[in-house]
Amino acid sequence: MSNFQSVKSPKIKPGKRAFVNSPFPWLLPLGLILTFVFVYPIFEIIRLSFTDASLLGSDYSYTTESYGRLFGQSEFFSMLLITAIFVSFSVVFQLFFGFIIAFLIDQGQKLDLKGTVIVRTSVLTAWAIPGVIIGIIWRVMYTETEVGIFNSLVGMMGMDLIPFLSDPTIALISVIVANVWRGTAFSMILIYAAIQTLPNDVMEAAKIDGANGLQRLFKVMLPMLAPIILVTLIIISIDTFNTFDMVMALTGGGPGQSTEVIALSIYTTIFREFNLGQGAATSVVLLSINVIMTLVYLKILGRQGEK
Amino acid sequence: MSHHNKTLVKKIGIYFSYAVITLFFLFPLLWIISMSFKTSQELFAIPPTLMPETFAFENYRYVLETTGVVNYLKNSAIIVFFTVIFTLLVSVPAAYALSRFKFKLKVPILITVLMTQMISAVVISIPLYRLFSNWNLLNNYIVLIIVYVSVVLPLATWFLKGYFDTIPAVLDEAATIDGANRWQFITKILFPTSMPGIVSVTILVAVQSWSQFVIPFILLDDESLYPVSVGVMNLQSTQQAVTTHYLAAGSVISVIPVIILFVVFQRLIVGALTSGAVKG
Repeated sequence: MSNFQSVKSPKIKPGKRAFVNSPFPWLLPLGLILTFVFVYPIFEIIRLSFTDASLLGSDYSYTTESYGRLFGQSEFFSMLLITAIFVSFSVVFQLFFGFIIAFLIDQGQKLDLKGTVIVRTSVLTAWAIPGVIIGIIWRVMYTETEVGIFNSLVGMMGMDLIPFLSDPTIALISVIVANVWRGTAFSMILIYAAIQTLPNDVMEAAKIDGANGLQRLFKVMLPMLAPIILVTLIIISIDTFNTFDMVMALTGGGPGQSTEVIALSIYTTIFREFNLGQGAATSVVLLSINVIMTLVYLKILGRQGEK
Repeated sequence: MSHHNKTLVKKIGIYFSYAVITLFFLFPLLWIISMSFKTSQELFAIPPTLMPETFAFENYRYVLETTGVVNYLKNSAIIVFFTVIFTLLVSVPAAYALSRFKFKLKVPILITVLMTQMISAVVISIPLYRLFSNWNLLNNYIVLIIVYVSVVLPLATWFLKGYFDTIPAVLDEAATIDGANRWQFITKILFPTSMPGIVSVTILVAVQSWSQFVIPFILLDDESLYPVSVGVMNLQSTQQAVTTHYLAAGSVISVIPVIILFVVFQRLIVGALTSGAVKG
């Protein structure tokens, strides 16, 4: 790749040229910043997870009690369950709607329909809005009296008003719906890009062979899109596991702890209960999830690269 | 059914689905805009009015004059501006090295950079909070911006590396034959040809940093330094049902900059996201 070793530049001393021709000076600022902001905090959070530290005091001793207490609590497992429900439903519906919208936009473009850009832009706008604002907007729409837009529609249909944010189960569904609204754009755009790269002749050949629309979709298109769908699935899963801002603004984790996903639980444990040791232990759990999913992602990418 | 009719039915079906999708995704936004123009009486109308009866622009005046929103916007602008500059200063050389040099550690470095992208901001903010409070660096924009930069760096570096890879090595050779050194190659050839990529990264970084919440939420506790995301959150906690129209106006004000940026550069952003995605 590098063609600069042979350059004879009399102005630059040999030592200086060697310096410029090594990749490491170029990477130094990146390395320093990532070490400071990621490597140090990761080691620190693992260390803190083996202590009984409090956010307020500076004295602590080393212990594995944080983990013991964490795994001994039924709250911890119900929090994990809530997180798992939140992540799996969000991800499945984001992928599902993302695929459908990408497919429809692609079909529309092939038929030269107008308005594909408007559809794409309106979906993407949801993705560009800060999570906190999304939480606020949906909170306003979920207002539980007939003043709220959703409940006024419910009332018009003659049904009982729905406690969107005060019933534990419904609140979790409400949070998932808002999150699907927010995240569908990302899946859509990745799948849309992948559809663009599909070879046209394969689809045409299937058509000539007499495959109908549905057969072409399920037997030809989906198998070809499978790798990118898998990659998208992992990226959005990691993202959803890390969700904090939208839920914070929408429910604050409530009612009770019924929408307290793992990132929110870490925040509450440390900054509301000042229990640094246990919050750090929960962080290590989230960190492990992040790392495992990234390894799976790399494995899939590696496999694709070999092809 | 004739082929022509079949296509027509298909077209109508697709248009119908477009209407449903657009309505679903734009409605929440239109609703909050509508709320932001309602008077306090109209907030409690049953059924709620879709369009405000009269446009109460005074809601915006009230929010701009009595809440800290203007200050939050200014803070966000400062933070985002410097985040973009520093991100480019760090990611461009790194991406250049990862694209143009051959060395053993290249793949491990690329993977490590990707790994950092996947780590929760809440997790890293906690040790940083402790560190900064010990060193009296909470509420300090310089360290705050460094943390902002690090969060967007992986994406920026990977994206720019991908973009530089698409610039043919032939150009490097031509430059070498013409006697240009590395620095001249970068400023005279690589930069101009990569401009679309650099602009895309700038927009992506700006949109992401504008939305950033966890980091300022944890690392700032002086209200006068809050960016809009944290500021509006703060506004929400102090508002009641009777002031929803103010909260709505505040929300609209805080998303206007990103939405303008986004709609104007929509094509570039889609291009950026998709080209990055295809390469993985």
